[in-house]
Amino acid sequence: MTAASQIRRELDASGIATLTFDRAGSSANVFDRATLEELDTHLAFLTAASGLKGVVLASAKPAIFIAGADLHAFSPAPAESVLTALVALGQNVFARLAALPVPTVAAIHGACLGGGCELALACDWRVASNAKATRIGLAETQLGILPAWGGCTRLPALIGLPAALKLILGGKPVVGLQALKLGLVDDVAPPEYLLAAARTLLARGRRPAAARRLAHLRPLPALIARKSRTMVLARTRGHYPAPLRAIDVCVQALGRPVETGLALERTALLELSRTPACRNLLGLFMLQERAKKISRPELAGLTSAPVRRVAVIGAGVMGSGIAQWLAARGLSVLLQDIDAKALAGGLHRIETLVRGGARRRLFTPAEAAATLDRVTPILPDAPLTDCDLVIEAAVERLDLKQKIFRDLESRTRPETVLATNTSALSIDALAGELANPERVVGLHFFNPVHRMKLIEVVRGARTSPAALAAALEFAKAIGKLPVIARDQPGFLVNRVLMPAMGEAVRLFNEGHAAETIDRHLLAFGMPMGPLRLADEVGLDVALHVQKDLAARLPNFVQPDGTLEKMTAKGWLGRKSGCGFYLHGPGRRAKTNPAAAEFQSGRASAMDGAAMTDRVILPMINEAARCLDQKVIEAPEDVDFAMVLGTGWAPFRGGPLRHADAVGVPEVVRRLESLARDVAPHFGPCEHLRHMAAQGRTFYPAPP
Amino acid sequence: MSAPAVYLVAGARTPFCKAGTLLAEADAVELGRTVAAAVLAQTGLDPAQIDETIFGCVGQPMDAMNIARVIALRAGVPESVPAYTVHRNCASGLEAITQAADRILLGRGHVYLAGGTESMSHYPLLFSDSAARKFATLARARTWGQKVSGLLQFRPADFAPRVSLLLGLTDPVCGLNMGQTAEVLARDWLISREDQDAFALRSHTRAAAARARLAEEITPVFPRGQKEPSAVSLENGVRDGQTMEALTRLRPIFEKHHGTVTAGNSSQITDGAAALLIMSETALARSGLKPLGRIVAHAAAGCAPSRMGLGPVFAIARAEASSGLKLGDAEVIEINEAFAAQVLACRAAAGSAAFARDQLGRDRALGEFPDEITNINGGAIALGHPVGATGARLILTALHELRVRQARRALVTLCVGGGQGAAVWLESCP
Repeated sequence: MTAASQIRRELDASGIATLTFDRAGSSANVFDRATLEELDTHLAFLTAASGLKGVVLASAKPAIFIAGADLHAFSPAPAESVLTALVALGQNVFARLAALPVPTVAAIHGACLGGGCELALACDWRVASNAKATRIGLAETQLGILPAWGGCTRLPALIGLPAALKLILGGKPVVGLQALKLGLVDDVAPPEYLLAAARTLLARGRRPAAARRLAHLRPLPALIARKSRTMVLARTRGHYPAPLRAIDVCVQALGRPVETGLALERTALLELSRTPACRNLLGLFMLQERAKKISRPELAGLTSAPVRRVAVIGAGVMGSGIAQWLAARGLSVLLQDIDAKALAGGLHRIETLVRGGARRRLFTPAEAAATLDRVTPILPDAPLTDCDLVIEAAVERLDLKQKIFRDLESRTRPETVLATNTSALSIDALAGELANPERVVGLHFFNPVHRMKLIEVVRGARTSPAALAAALEFAKAIGKLPVIARDQPGFLVNRVLMPAMGEAVRLFNEGHAAETIDRHLLAFGMPMGPLRLADEVGLDVALHVQKDLAARLPNFVQPDGTLEKMTAKGWLGRKSGCGFYLHGPGRRAKTNPAAAEFQSGRASAMDGAAMTDRVILPMINEAARCLDQKVIEAPEDVDFAMVLGTGWAPFRGGPLRHADAVGVPEVVRRLESLARDVAPHFGPCEHLRHMAAQGRTFYPAPP
Repeated sequence: MSAPAVYLVAGARTPFCKAGTLLAEADAVELGRTVAAAVLAQTGLDPAQIDETIFGCVGQPMDAMNIARVIALRAGVPESVPAYTVHRNCASGLEAITQAADRILLGRGHVYLAGGTESMSHYPLLFSDSAARKFATLARARTWGQKVSGLLQFRPADFAPRVSLLLGLTDPVCGLNMGQTAEVLARDWLISREDQDAFALRSHTRAAAARARLAEEITPVFPRGQKEPSAVSLENGVRDGQTMEALTRLRPIFEKHHGTVTAGNSSQITDGAAALLIMSETALARSGLKPLGRIVAHAAAGCAPSRMGLGPVFAIARAEASSGLKLGDAEVIEINEAFAAQVLACRAAAGSAAFARDQLGRDRALGEFPDEITNINGGAIALGHPVGATGARLILTALHELRVRQARRALVTLCVGGGQGAAVWLESCP
């Protein structure tokens, strides 16, 4: 066996061969060219071996079977010939596995995703461990591609078209018992008995041909496909071609020879790989992987002790959201607020979140109770000397927060990192007169905390490298994706988002219906229209942030007064039940007809593209300013943060990717015409002008 | 040479609420967890420092056997720290604390989390033994015939529940329930209905006046599973407007004819928990915490089950024999008010030289329970008596009172169903 080996082969006396995937120097197994070729070699050996009775495929990793294809091979986009060869290689190797004359079984413990799942599908039998780490699924469509190593062909044949489409389109992996129910695996066993269970399955011999399924009789597949298409289109508004292609391939491959299906997969994958959506989604995936390992050269060697106990100051929506997230990850949390009533509100929110998670089977009732047990409510007189980190999430008022930080200084150990969840205030101002201002750092979570993976880690002027390193480590340890921002008003995400919200409000004020504005931005690919978003975050909060930014950033315009009037009337959006929309418990938001009184005009109909430009282009303008002012390091950080923090149209790759796609000179031209026709604040910033003049793009041009 | 000291470093209790009311949604585990977590949070102590967790609970929930262990784990005490549950009826919460003290004196450990918890709302209804046997037969039935014949065995009476609360409050040896033992004492010591009602009124008056003072001991409970956020801090057993007229109108509940003990002059059926952190001198110095006080002596004593209410007198005498501390040395006294008649009987017995001679084997009376230092903030008649928690509550209340009054010594004592008494002497730390 060579040193570079990724797969161990053992052949026992009874004629059972075991191939154990164990990628050297990694905690994960992935399929790259070398691994596929090595598997091929082993299979060639086994094909020729005499006395062979069966083959077991297993992994030596503690939490991963095979995590999928090595996506580094796809980024930057590979030459088409390379891609074609890789797809064909995978298909051929798996076909060889499927063609072995002896029974084969995949003993699945740990993540079994993408190519890993397709490998398992090429076996006669599958047994999954009942461990939580065992998740089986095909997530390719999330990345703008489709399962092309036999997934689209073999999965529907195995578990039926409806269930297969659910897995392929939803992309959500299933645990062992769910997989058993679906027929995706043939047995579930404790990890300790997994290999024994695999051998028991081998004793059944080769898998008999499956009986024809009712759902596969014509015209049912066509109907199922039609329904799936409608559902996908409702979700994606046609921006994501991959799921639609996957439906086509699955349906066309049904009942045909495997080779036909594989050919269809190949063609579809190549087609999809040429789409911008695929490039952008893969790019974002790589950025997420990068964020999991993010560091800075100047932080090298700074290790912080693992955080076990955290104090969260403020039991409001953000504070309780953060406390819930941390407690669910096994951290012990002290949740502080000024009285029992405020604490009760926070604990109730946490309980609601946890019960929701338990209902969706994210955790067992016992785990849910343990999560709640880990949150201890405290009043501001409790000592925090046993805490490793404090996260302040109080009301956004500088004087109040400064007071809190002075108090925290007296209640914590001198080296405890003090983080703030402020979304707008200056970290340095918060640190104020503290004896150790260098331990204050920003940890800006996004709402709702349990859904938004991004954290802006904000470095104040006096923040120490140690505090920054600790904050980064912490963000990664709790399963969030950090991006480092400098201590400038609004940091990155809010600063780039706010112009869009302000512009949408202005459009509304001019007389455009809130629904129309939001509909055009949904069509653009935003997860939520800007006015609906304003309602969700709270009109008072939106107004406060806009005013604050306008006061501190010269290029920001003051809000136009609409929000001021609405909040004065007590309309605060969702929390008061009324804003641009009417909100009620258990009912969908409806347009608020009474909001018309805050419109100053009756605007004539406006072209959707023009409306979108007015909302989207200011974001690009502001993002370019952030880059120029070094609020954030690189264009990909901006795009990553905007997509992860606000759901900014992922298939477009983020505002700066989008700017490149439109063309920077074109963006400048449109901004200039908006500045001329609508208002001067649309004027493109220096940075954009320079880029346009010099013909530069934010990203290097694809090869 | 002075004996090694045992320090009571911090404590917390839930509000005491009438069973079936504000705390009915929280079970004994949740109440115990709340106070244990609160004590840890108050002190900032790393729970790994704890050597053992000890809790008292009289009616242990069937789904949380060794409730101390369940409470400890759920309050964040590490799995490596052991825990056990103690039972001395009404003195269970006190027993947890004195056991911790004894262990420290023995050098077994330095830091103990101890207390008591009781959810009388959750005392179960039981099936009779004969019904249970029929259920067992039915469970074993295999064929349809067996099942049908098994079902036909049941009679309506089989479904009449046995109320575990009532069973628990009845002495299985003398056959009297606790209220009847109070009636025995009322007859023995000729304690009138008026005196009992006046004592009950005083308990309410004092507790109502002391709400703010008692709030210092209380940590709110946040019951789970509610539609709306809720924080329970209010003690709802205390009647702010309690009057003699109202008390007089009540009928005797234990002896309908010529009885004197009523719901109004008895302790209430209540939910609650209390916990304290107990440390050796070494651990205290290491922690840098300021103690509430220390335990200097304690004793438990037995007496006649039918006169269990006199337990305190026996226990106080025994504590005096071992420590030399006399009733007169106390500047603060907390005596549990199981029944007004029972407290008043203790007072009479303590002042009786004849009783001392005949029952305690000593030549002089124990002494007085001066009104102005006894149950200054009211007692179980107003606050309620969650049996397993009360002992710990009395100690916590006495410690706070020592601080408020800047007094030196406090005596905590209670009667124990089954014919026992317990007494603990506390001292403030200068």
